[in-house]
Amino acid sequence: MEIKFFDVNMFIGRPMNGLFGSVISARDLITEMDKQNIKKAIVWHIFQYEGSPVEGNRILAREISKSERLYGCWTILPPQTKEVIDRDFFKKMKENRIVALNAFPEWHRFVMDKVSFGKFFGEISERKVPLFLTMGRACISWDSLYRLMRDFPKMVCILCDIGIWGVDRYTWPLLEKFEFFYLESSQLSLEEGGIEATVKEFGPEKIVFGTGFPVRYPKAAILQLKHADISEDAKVKIASKNIEKILQKVQL
Amino acid sequence: MNSIWKEFYEKGKSEQCPVYDMHGHMGSYSRIYFPYGDFDPETIKKRFDRAGIKILVFCHHWSLFSPDIGNTANIEAVRKLPELLRAYCGLNPNYPEIIEKDVEEFEKYRDVFVGFKLLADYHGLPISHKNYSPAWKYADKKGLIVLLHTWGGSNVDGPEQVRIVAERYPGAKILMGHSCHGEWDKALQLMKDFPNVYAELCAVVDDRGGLEKFIDGAGSEKIVFGTDWPWFNHHYYIGAVLDSGISDDDVHNIFHRNAEKLLSSLI
Repeated sequence: MEIKFFDVNMFIGRPMNGLFGSVISARDLITEMDKQNIKKAIVWHIFQYEGSPVEGNRILAREISKSERLYGCWTILPPQTKEVIDRDFFKKMKENRIVALNAFPEWHRFVMDKVSFGKFFGEISERKVPLFLTMGRACISWDSLYRLMRDFPKMVCILCDIGIWGVDRYTWPLLEKFEFFYLESSQLSLEEGGIEATVKEFGPEKIVFGTGFPVRYPKAAILQLKHADISEDAKVKIASKNIEKILQKVQL
Repeated sequence: MNSIWKEFYEKGKSEQCPVYDMHGHMGSYSRIYFPYGDFDPETIKKRFDRAGIKILVFCHHWSLFSPDIGNTANIEAVRKLPELLRAYCGLNPNYPEIIEKDVEEFEKYRDVFVGFKLLADYHGLPISHKNYSPAWKYADKKGLIVLLHTWGGSNVDGPEQVRIVAERYPGAKILMGHSCHGEWDKALQLMKDFPNVYAELCAVVDDRGGLEKFIDGAGSEKIVFGTDWPWFNHHYYIGAVLDSGISDDDVHNIFHRNAEKLLSSLI
């Protein structure tokens, strides 16, 4: 069975301190995706993190408009400053094919909890808009993530870049407790038996495929999933079906 | 490259390109959950067969973390699965009397051990410390492999420490486990300066760029494959190496030829 890959963890743009093999534009990213046989991707722009979420979001929207295979992920800041989130926010997401959000609270210096995001996270929980968080890039601590999920148990949250060391002791309680909490696969694939054990405990529906490109090698996650000791049906779900199902439920 | 990738992608392993994993462990470890941490020969056979792993050279976690258990854990594991396993005799410099005893008895276990493993970042004393001397001298004399845990910025097993032992013990075959992680340029310089120093890829290919630098600077003859198994997945790291754009010849060197040479007189 041919597996179609839908990658939820790719970024474009060159980081300020340099990065081996980074890609400048959507066109370059598509070239790489073709090389790797990746059909679709949810992408963000590194400038959203390093420079300006506002301008980075704009650049991203412009870039992904060049290919229907790309979907965007915008970076949010606390609604109170109105830098990113305004009255027409969801309308703008729809107009620009933005299907998900991400946040880097520690790096962007804000507290991501009920005080700052209560109403907004209530709304994205209702609209089923996925929030991507990363355990890399000084994004969020495990304590903060646990608190966030306790406060917003219906929120669709996809945790990326879970770390080099296996983190099942951290993630399995979240997978057990929260229906809409998911793991991105790139570093779960790195853990020996990580995919298999997670599927056995929670089913394949809780994992979505990602490569971590351009930081990581796409063929690493691809080869691991292709030969994971799980059913073919489970592989197809992880590779693309799960994220497609999540995106079908998004209401903008 | 394409034919090797195609074979791995379609079958999960390659007949033309077996894989020698030169950096592994065995058994559980308190700070992490391993789905395949428990020693079970049948599971190991099955997992290794899926990825075409010809041999794993490892050091049992309990040998490294419990002086009370020591190298017994390595000996028992290898003797239960000799067709797939060889071990590094684990050294803990906080117990020099055990090191002396292990060196004295090394010949008794030549069916088990191909060399020594040092984990200085965890044991706290530098790899050049006198407490390791009996093992270093023995490895130097016998041409044994010494797998070092090395990490960039470390004052006990960083590149400066590797330089000291590489100069002092030219007969030992030194594998820089994790290749002085993050200090790739210094690791590369060590590979170029010393014929007895090799890069080992565990944690190097977590990110793109390090392997490519080593290939460009020192060539694939100075690189061996390793995964820290059961920490990391064989297919993941195999896919990473195959995605680096290196030649078929380089892939063969990294996956098996270099290891075959290093192990030829030892197993």
